[in-house]
Amino acid sequence: MRDTKRRLTLQVALPLVGVIIGVLLIVGPFIAGLARSLMLWVGEDPQFSLANFAWLFTDRRIHQAALNSLICGFGAMSLSLMLGTSLAWIVSRTDVPGRELFKTLNLIPFFFSPYVGAIGWIFLVAPYSGLMQTSIGSFTGESIEGPNIYSLAGVIWILSLFYTPYVYLFVISPLQRMDAAFEDAARVHGASFWTTIRLITLPLLQPGLLSAALIVFVTSAGLFDVPLALTATKGIRTMPTEVFALVRYPSDLGRAAAFGILVTVITIALTLWQRAHLSKRRYEIVSGKGYKPRVTEIRGAARVLALTVEIVFLTTSVVLPVLALILVALSPLWTGRSNPSNATLANFSYVLFDYSLTRQAILNSLFLAVTGATLGVTISGLQSYYLQRGRGRFKGLVDALLALPLGIPGIVLSLFFLIFAIRTPLYGTLAILLIAYVARFFPFATRTISAMLSAIHPELEESARANGASWTQTMRHILLPLLRPALIAAWIMLFIIFIRELGASILLYASGTETISIAMLLLSENSVGYVAALALIQLVLLLGGFTLFRLTKVSAIQ
Amino acid sequence: MSIAGKARLGFALLLMGLATASQAQDVPALKGLDEAARTNVLQMIEGAKKEGSLNYSDTIIQPTTNDVLVSAFRTYYGLPASFPVNYTLLTSGAMITRIEQELAANRITFDVAAIGSPTWTFERYRAGAFMNYRSREYDAYQDVIKAGLGVDGAFVLNGGYAQIPIWNADILKFDGKSYRDALNAAVPGRFSIGDVVQSESHLTTYAGLRQVLDVDFFKEVAKKKPTFVGRSEQSAQRILTGQDVIAFGGNPSRVHQSNQKGAKLRILYPSEGFTFLPQLTFILAKAPHPNAAKLWIDFILSDAGQKILADKEALISGRANFQSPIPDIAPNFSSLKIIKVDWEKMTADQLMKYREEWISIFNP
Repeated sequence: MRDTKRRLTLQVALPLVGVIIGVLLIVGPFIAGLARSLMLWVGEDPQFSLANFAWLFTDRRIHQAALNSLICGFGAMSLSLMLGTSLAWIVSRTDVPGRELFKTLNLIPFFFSPYVGAIGWIFLVAPYSGLMQTSIGSFTGESIEGPNIYSLAGVIWILSLFYTPYVYLFVISPLQRMDAAFEDAARVHGASFWTTIRLITLPLLQPGLLSAALIVFVTSAGLFDVPLALTATKGIRTMPTEVFALVRYPSDLGRAAAFGILVTVITIALTLWQRAHLSKRRYEIVSGKGYKPRVTEIRGAARVLALTVEIVFLTTSVVLPVLALILVALSPLWTGRSNPSNATLANFSYVLFDYSLTRQAILNSLFLAVTGATLGVTISGLQSYYLQRGRGRFKGLVDALLALPLGIPGIVLSLFFLIFAIRTPLYGTLAILLIAYVARFFPFATRTISAMLSAIHPELEESARANGASWTQTMRHILLPLLRPALIAAWIMLFIIFIRELGASILLYASGTETISIAMLLLSENSVGYVAALALIQLVLLLGGFTLFRLTKVSAIQ
Repeated sequence: MSIAGKARLGFALLLMGLATASQAQDVPALKGLDEAARTNVLQMIEGAKKEGSLNYSDTIIQPTTNDVLVSAFRTYYGLPASFPVNYTLLTSGAMITRIEQELAANRITFDVAAIGSPTWTFERYRAGAFMNYRSREYDAYQDVIKAGLGVDGAFVLNGGYAQIPIWNADILKFDGKSYRDALNAAVPGRFSIGDVVQSESHLTTYAGLRQVLDVDFFKEVAKKKPTFVGRSEQSAQRILTGQDVIAFGGNPSRVHQSNQKGAKLRILYPSEGFTFLPQLTFILAKAPHPNAAKLWIDFILSDAGQKILADKEALISGRANFQSPIPDIAPNFSSLKIIKVDWEKMTADQLMKYREEWISIFNP
């Protein structure tokens, strides 16, 4: 009896630890942000005021920026959902040639920084000077303007390319594990292929799709680096770039904080809606029974279409931008035209060996990525267990609270941490970056692990417990092996995000705590060749991590 | 250890000490100094060695130039090659934001900074943010200090630059003399101006230009739908690749550096005059490495430091009788037609009004 009580305590206490850490990571900076948003300085004295919030509702520029962010978020979400679900379905549910290879290749854009992707696409299609324009111009002899990458459409295009793998990751696992009996039953009862997809497959994918949609929407709307690279020069402001401008001297932290609080409230509403929507139905797609996902044979035009979707996606998201980056990185002076006879490795040599800041930045990023991902997955795993298996009365509230950072743009959370830590010894250290990274991104891991956990019917654990296994044995032999793909996917996701992270770092870094992305931003003041070289080094690092996992026979999508 | 062993060790240490002292006595920084000044510099060198490093930041100096500067700095004072000089290149807005945050946090990481934002620099000086250090090199900067580009014993320019029209001679044949000519040469949608919202130095430039160019001129600029660029490299890059045919906010440093790699960029010092942006350099009051910081200020303002900055960065020296090695790109200070602005009297509020005016014209 006493032993049972001890086990029950462990079962409850461990997940609670994860929850408490998560709550503290959010509440501390959030309260600092809230307090700052409600303060207005009159002379030297702070006074309580709602003026910062009033400004949000009256400033025309902010409204325009908010609208632009919503357009970016909605556009990127729609395109990513369409592309990501299509790609996941093609490789998991059809016999398209090379499906195993495509399964891996589809993830490669996930390893890219969208900022780097934006830079790559600028080199590709910048008006009059992109590689595409100059290549075509060399045949026609004319100066070609080409598509306008410096626009909201350009931002949506870049965000969609690089957030499609998020959707793909969320959807492919349930698709692969879905019991074909559901779809078979529909087909046996006369449903067409599309009807089955609409009424059976997509509804069963809802948890993953909604999670992915929410993440892509808020991340796209809140991302500041791609709009900074593409639209800021055309005077097209978005909410994050406006916040960035507000934080810059002469800074108005109160208004920036008010914006963050408003966004946070909207996120709570979205999260609660998502939770309420999902709770109306059941989504268990993995049971204790044997099953095999259905593979559809595609022939003729359908096969060509599937292959075309795959090839176009990989070419536009990987091949072309990387090619552009390589050409720029090998050029001593980039003029929009590649000259192989002048190719040099000087840019690589400089950023790797001659510039101490980039060396330090690489080390800092590796430290933050490895430590942060490990901490993040540990905390998230515990939180997921609490949210999916716990019996607390306030689970809904905790879920909404833990999801808060999802909707807060990195730059705003970074601002909250800045306000929170500016008068503490944490200011200007790697530790504050590490804490901010984990606080900003652990919900990504929690969502990934929770989505998988929600698809594992508790009957498997109940069966083990009924047969005498302890809670720790059940965890070790039943749940963790089943969760392993999700845990690894979450770790890789955090590692990748941390390696390329910019939004949460931009306000918190100091001398000696620069990261790779910060170094890239600093080098952009110097030479695009250096930026391209460092971007490729970052890409190699990220792909190296991915390859290591593949070599150990463990994969996020296994 | 035996007594003989201890004696040998002591003798060896004495020899090492004498060798080090002898080396220190020979360093270039000490040449021509009187005994008191020599003692002072030697004490600072020893202090810097104990402090162990130097952190400085600038908005112009490229990392490659920094490498040359740091190497010369170590040689100048006989510091070991391992003496760390940590350099951070920042945009003007980013630097101000960082320093403001560090001041608010009372946790200063930079020792020395240099920035082309005189209004902010004067404001911070008045607030007591800078260390009082009257470098002996200040003697050579009295003319520019009288011209309002520094405060004796607090800060002075380590060089200056302009944000002026630049173009690619391979793409545009332009022989205009004025801002008006540059505007006439601008192709709608294919020229850039400095982003006054994002950049303090472009805001400063705009505030200066408004002394000689009226609002209507800028309204004409706005009609041609310019691109707003915050970073000088970005505007130079757009000119290099042909995205833009002319940039109003080009930086002579980038022109010089690109041309050294084979480009054919050109600059115009307009007949209306131009806003001279002094890179005002100072030591922060609570600098973590004050001795190293003082040595750096002495070095960067010296003839040796100024030659490197002029040669590598095309900065215009404020040092008396300094001869520019590249007068076509970085003319001598005395030959320039600089727009007169009293930066000491210009307040941050006035500057913000210029920013609001710019926003109302360009509606970015």
